[in-house]
Amino acid sequence: MTAHPLETMLLAWIRSPDTRSPGEVLPELHASHFRRNAAYRAFCRSLGVPEQVADWRQIPCVPQDAFKHADLRSFPPEETIKTFRTSGTTGEGFGQHHFRTLEIYEAAVLEGWRHAGLPTGPFLVIAPHPDESPHSSLSHMLATLAPREAFIAPGGEIDFDRLRAATTSVCLLGTALGFLHLCEQLGDRRLGLPPGSTAMETGGYKGSGRNISRTDLYGRISHALGIAPEDIINEYGMTELSSQFYARGPRGRHHGPPWACAIVADPVTLQEVGEGETGILLVYDAANVGSVAGIRTQDLAIRREGSFELLGRDPAALPRGCSRAADEWLAR
Amino acid sequence: MTTTERAHALAAAAEPFRALLGPTSAADLLAWVEAELGSAEALDRWVPHGRARTKALAPGTILHVVSGNTPHAALQTLIGGLLLGSRNLVKLPRNGLAEVDGFLSRLPKSMQALAESSKDLPDSWLSSVDAVIVYGSDETVSALRARTPAGKIFIGHGHKASLGIVWDDPEFASCAGAARDASLFDQQGCLSPQAFYVRESRPGFVRAYAEHLASAMEHFNRTHPRGPLTLEEKAEIANLRAAYRFRAAGDLRVALWEGGGNLDWTVIYEEDLWFNASPLNRVIFVKPLPEDLADAMGPAAGHVGAIGLFPCTEELAGRFAALRPSRICPVGRMQDPPWTWHNGGVASLASLVKWVDFEPPSGLTA
Repeated sequence: MTAHPLETMLLAWIRSPDTRSPGEVLPELHASHFRRNAAYRAFCRSLGVPEQVADWRQIPCVPQDAFKHADLRSFPPEETIKTFRTSGTTGEGFGQHHFRTLEIYEAAVLEGWRHAGLPTGPFLVIAPHPDESPHSSLSHMLATLAPREAFIAPGGEIDFDRLRAATTSVCLLGTALGFLHLCEQLGDRRLGLPPGSTAMETGGYKGSGRNISRTDLYGRISHALGIAPEDIINEYGMTELSSQFYARGPRGRHHGPPWACAIVADPVTLQEVGEGETGILLVYDAANVGSVAGIRTQDLAIRREGSFELLGRDPAALPRGCSRAADEWLAR
Repeated sequence: MTTTERAHALAAAAEPFRALLGPTSAADLLAWVEAELGSAEALDRWVPHGRARTKALAPGTILHVVSGNTPHAALQTLIGGLLLGSRNLVKLPRNGLAEVDGFLSRLPKSMQALAESSKDLPDSWLSSVDAVIVYGSDETVSALRARTPAGKIFIGHGHKASLGIVWDDPEFASCAGAARDASLFDQQGCLSPQAFYVRESRPGFVRAYAEHLASAMEHFNRTHPRGPLTLEEKAEIANLRAAYRFRAAGDLRVALWEGGGNLDWTVIYEEDLWFNASPLNRVIFVKPLPEDLADAMGPAAGHVGAIGLFPCTEELAGRFAALRPSRICPVGRMQDPPWTWHNGGVASLASLVKWVDFEPPSGLTA
C-alpha cells in the first residue's frame, strides 16, 4: 500500500524527533482527520472547531469511550490491515482502534523506548504473544520490542525454568496483573534474577477484583525477583494510543516521546491545571495518524514539570450507591 | 420504657430530620411495630398468638455499620434498633455522621444510654453483639458476614439499583416527581433511580420525555442545589458527558441535556436499552421501555431496589414485580419510603426479634 505523505512525514519525525515540533505537526494531522473521518468531523463541528486550527491545543480530545461507539478511521475501511480491541464488559462493548499501517505504530514503540533510555534487552515477556491475542495492542507492542522466543508464558503459564535459566541481566516485561500472579505463584520463594535486571509493568487491575498500589507491587516484585524498585518501570499506554509514557520506580513521573503530549486538565473546563494540581489526562499522540490525535482519557494525574504523576485509572471504577464509606473502612 | 414511650421519644428526636426521614410520628413508629410484630405491644407484654400467647424479645445489642453518603439509612436503622429497646452500636464512616450525633443528642438520657458510636470497628463489637446490620457494597457485606460469628443475626443491605418506569404519561405529568426522585440525596441512596424506562406511546415520546425531565431537573436544582463533588466525581460525570456529547454529534439515537457548567444535573436519552449504571450526583438515563426489561437490566436485574411507577396501578405493579424490587411506588415518592417498607425484602423489625410463647396452665385459649 502506498504511504500517505502525512505518514511518511510522521515516520521521519518519529525517527528524527528534533526535526519538527507538535505545534507544526498536530494542526496538520487534525486537518487531515477532519477531512477523512466523518465521526471526528461531526464531533469537531458540534464543538465549533474548524478544520484549520492555529494552536494544537485547540484540537478537541475525543473521549476514550468513543472508540466503542464510533468508527474513528481516518482512511477507507478497505485499507485496514489491523484492528486492536479494548477489553469490554458485558453490555458495554469494546473499543476498536484501526490501522492502515503498523509501521508508524512500531516506530513509535521502538523510538519511544529508546527515547526513554530503557534497557535494550535481552527481554523476557510474561504476557500473551500476538498469536494468542491478535487484537491486543499490548501484545503487539511487546512483540515489537521482544522476539517470539522471549514470550515465556504461553497459555498464561509462566515458565519459571526460563527465568531461572537467565545468566545475564534481563528486562522482564508484563502486565501488573501478570507480575502479581508471578509473585503469588512464587509465594515465599525468591527467584533472584541476575544483577542489573529490570522489569516493565503496565495496565491496571480492572475487572480482576484486585487493586494494589504501585509501591506495594514493586515491593513484591523486588522481593521475588531481586530487582530494585527503582529499576522497575511503569508504562502508561492504551489501545486508543500509539505511543507510550514511562515512569521509573514506585513514585516515578511519566514522560512521553516528543511526538506525544500529555496535558493535565480540569475535567469540566479542559483548561490545563497549575503545577502540582490534579486533573484528567488529555493525550495528543501524533503517531495516531490513522485515527484521531487527541484523546480524553479516563485517568487522573498530577501535573509535574513537563511530566505527570499518574494517580489512578478509571474513576468509573469507584464504588457507588450505599457503599462508599463502608468500603473506605474495608480498604483500611 | 415501653414501646410507646420509646416511640414518642424517637419521634420527638426525629423532628428536625424530617427532610431525611419523612413523617416520623409516634403513631407511624407504633404502626410499624404493629405491622411487623402483630401488635404494638408485642415487646411489652404477652399478646394473643393462636391459642397461646407470645412476646417478642429484642436482641440485646445490635451493631449497625452505616455509610456516609446515606445518613437517612443510618438514622432509619438506628431508630429501628432503639424502637425495639435494644442497645445499639453504630460504626460510623471515617468522617463521622453529624446526623447521627445530632439525633442521639436529642434523645432522653435513658435512651442515649442505649446507643454508642465509633469511627472504628473493634473486633469486640462483632463478637459481643446479637445482630449485625450492614449497609455497603456487596463486597463489604460479604466481608463482614464472613467476620460475624455463627449464630448471630446478620442483615446485609448490599448494592441496589433503582429505576423508574413510565407507562403512560401523555402530558409529562410525572416529570417533576421523576426529577425529585433522581435529585434528592444526590442519587446516593439505594432508592435513587439511575434510569427511567419510558414506554414509546407515540413516536418520539421517549426523547420528548427526556427533554421535559431535563427542564424539571433544572427547576428542582434551583431550589435544591446539588452538594459538593470530589474531583473524581467531577471527572467521572464530565467524562460521561463528553462521551455522550461525542455520540450525540453523529447519532440521533442519543441526546444529552446538561445542567449548567457546574455539572448540576445531566439527562441522557439513549435508544440503547441496556441499563447503564449512573455515576450518580444527578445523572439520569432515559430509555425506551423494552418488552423484556429484565434482559435489558443485565447484571443489575438481581439488584433492583425500588421501582417508581407512573401511573402506579396494581396491574402495572404486578407486571414488573418479577424484577423482584423490594418496593414499587409512585414516581415522585421513591425517596419517601414508609417506615413499614421491607427494606431489601426483609421485615426490618421482625427479622431481629425472637419469640417466646406462653401456654397458660389453665389451658390454651380458644
